[in-house]
Amino acid sequence: MKRVAKPVFFILAVLIIAFAVTSVFGIDTQYGDIVITRIKGIDDIRWGIDIKGGVEATFQPADGVDATPEQLESAKSVIETRMVANNITDYELYADTSSNRIIVRFPWKEETTNYDPNEAIEEISATATLTFRPGNSYETVDYAEDGTPVMKTPTGETAETVLLDGSLVESAQAGVINDNGQTQYVVSLEFNSEGAEAFKEATTTYLNQTISIWMDDIMLSYPTVNSVISDGSAQISGNFTAEEATALATKINAGALPFSLETVNAGSISPTLGSNSLYAMGVAAVIALVFIALFMIIVFRMPGFVAVIALLGQLAITIMAVSGYFPVFNSFTMTLPGIAGMILSIGMGVDANIITAERIKEELKKGKSVDSAINAGTKNSLSAIIDGNMTVVIVAVILILVFGPFNMLSFIFGLSTTGSIYAFGYTLLIGVISNFIMGIGAARLMLKSISGFKIFRNPKLYGGAKK
Amino acid sequence: MSDKKLDFFGKRKIFFGISIGLIVIGIIFNFIFGINLDIQFTGGSMISYTYNGSVNESELKSLVQEITPDNQVSFTISKNLAGNNDKGDGYYFTVQFPGTDQIDTEVQSTILQTLEEKYPDNNFELSEFTSVDPTMGTKFFVKCLTAVAIACILMVLYVTLRFKKIGGMSAGVMGLVALLHDMVIVYFVFVIFRMDIDSNFIAVILMILGYSLNDTIVIYDRIRENKAKMGPKASLEDVYNLSMTQCIRRTIFTSITTLAAITSVYVVCLVYNIESIQSFALPMMFGVISGCYSSIYVATPLWVIWQLRKKEKASSKK
Repeated sequence: MKRVAKPVFFILAVLIIAFAVTSVFGIDTQYGDIVITRIKGIDDIRWGIDIKGGVEATFQPADGVDATPEQLESAKSVIETRMVANNITDYELYADTSSNRIIVRFPWKEETTNYDPNEAIEEISATATLTFRPGNSYETVDYAEDGTPVMKTPTGETAETVLLDGSLVESAQAGVINDNGQTQYVVSLEFNSEGAEAFKEATTTYLNQTISIWMDDIMLSYPTVNSVISDGSAQISGNFTAEEATALATKINAGALPFSLETVNAGSISPTLGSNSLYAMGVAAVIALVFIALFMIIVFRMPGFVAVIALLGQLAITIMAVSGYFPVFNSFTMTLPGIAGMILSIGMGVDANIITAERIKEELKKGKSVDSAINAGTKNSLSAIIDGNMTVVIVAVILILVFGPFNMLSFIFGLSTTGSIYAFGYTLLIGVISNFIMGIGAARLMLKSISGFKIFRNPKLYGGAKK
Repeated sequence: MSDKKLDFFGKRKIFFGISIGLIVIGIIFNFIFGINLDIQFTGGSMISYTYNGSVNESELKSLVQEITPDNQVSFTISKNLAGNNDKGDGYYFTVQFPGTDQIDTEVQSTILQTLEEKYPDNNFELSEFTSVDPTMGTKFFVKCLTAVAIACILMVLYVTLRFKKIGGMSAGVMGLVALLHDMVIVYFVFVIFRMDIDSNFIAVILMILGYSLNDTIVIYDRIRENKAKMGPKASLEDVYNLSMTQCIRRTIFTSITTLAAITSVYVVCLVYNIESIQSFALPMMFGVISGCYSSIYVATPLWVIWQLRKKEKASSKK
């Protein structure tokens, strides 16, 4: 047979172990007190609220109001602003226009000791109050995850005076103007008649001064008044990008929404319950892995040993796909069904190796040499492994399509709070793909390579009879 | 070596009997116990608290009942082994609100306040609360079932195409029968252990879906290979028995490793008393056993019977 070069085994084994170690522990560098995560490890995995504890809620416009998609998007932006303001970064938020609902899920913050889910839900779904205030003095600045400053709590005159509120705004829209040949993104404001009057007064009083726009406690923008505006339509310009202009317009619209949000579904799990289960899962995973490793090595010897290395590789790839090891792939929220998907895919990975090892054993019993037994064994077992894995791929893909961002059946059932089942499909698909790479690809290369060493050519090592 | 084979087909009636027996027992239990759909699917509300030390249970219950006089609430109290501390043993106290009404957030805070005032030494804390709109719950449930059905149909199609040489359609349908067998067994595990049908149920069903068919396919693959080797003259019973004899070690080994992984999850969660994961690992353990059993004793022998019938019909036509 065409033997695989001897060093291949060691190269692959070292690579796999390196991947496995870094995928678990990640790589951090430390400058003084600042720890920078270079590669994300298991600690950086975002755990779903069913594991870590957190809040899940679904909102809809109260009193059966049918919101337009733009209005729903505005209502969503309110929640988004509040999440950022509270420094909650790993939230999930969807607006489902077909069922007129907004779904939000977020874990408890690390330092939360006094958690009250009702308060949290009421806080994020409260009607946004939009205000126009003179000046732009504020008390505190927080920084959002992406580094943008969030200015909170008005002070001084800004706190004392409210020039207009959101009910006087008719609409806000992002647009483009041509300013001396330069394209500029702006936000156009339309006021109703009462608003136009108030705005005229405000712009007269504060001409050439700053008027700031606030949502709740957060400053959205602080334009300077360039002229008195009496016709009820104003423009905010600044060095906006297209996205910034759209975001600002959406937020301003939220202050003028003609409905409040009511809670349809709500749920919460305490963080103590969560951290407990996380630890238990870790213990269980280690016990299971040790058992599988011992079982494989005792029963199948050399192929079993190779299978254990391949299995580590498969696990490492799955963990990487979840934790966001490669910056190109987003990290993923891991839930209980996601763990079920991992267990199934590991079962499939072990299975692929067992099928191959059994086949090699059979070929040896027929009296073949180690080389040709490995060759025939790997060849004959391939179709079973591929067919078995393909059906699992079908399950995984269907689940991803139905419950993932594609929402295949949403025209019938609406978007539902089913992120957890999507996680099952996702980890399963990743698991099966990594099984193809590791359990089938790498394991076979390693086996063919290591059997090139004379000391590893005893048929007994492969389950055959003594020579 | 290749002559050594066990007679699986001859014992088929015993194994069909076992399967049918289990299903009958399951159905009987289903009638006795009934089945509870979790509020995730039916809609409704549930609040769960943790506390330490001993509390007069009936007093506790009437206290909560007084706060919501309109709703006849039901209660469960269970041990929270991980929650023991110097204030005494840990417990979970769960209040379930009947019907599909949403409970007021005010009622919720009142309950906790009252409990804290009445039992200041017992460390009452909110552990979990769920409140689901009934129409959304039902929609979600139906959506899950639809996804499962679509996945089933596509898998049968795949098997039908890939196993044309061994009468594709029959192989696919019998694989599906084995699948249904396993899903029903998992369902009965939920019934017998009095667990609610919740999203864990869906997750277990999905896992079994993949596991069971994979198991069956590995055996089909062997039959396909042996049939080609042994030629058209070999009897189907022989092909099946030989294939089974060759596959049995692999089927059992795979099940042992998968089962061991899930069992370790179950045992650890039993120790830490994490119910949500227990109620997910336990049915999964039974599902794996059933998936292994059904591919050996349900799917393939049924496939043999189907093929034999077909042959009989073909020869009687001549």
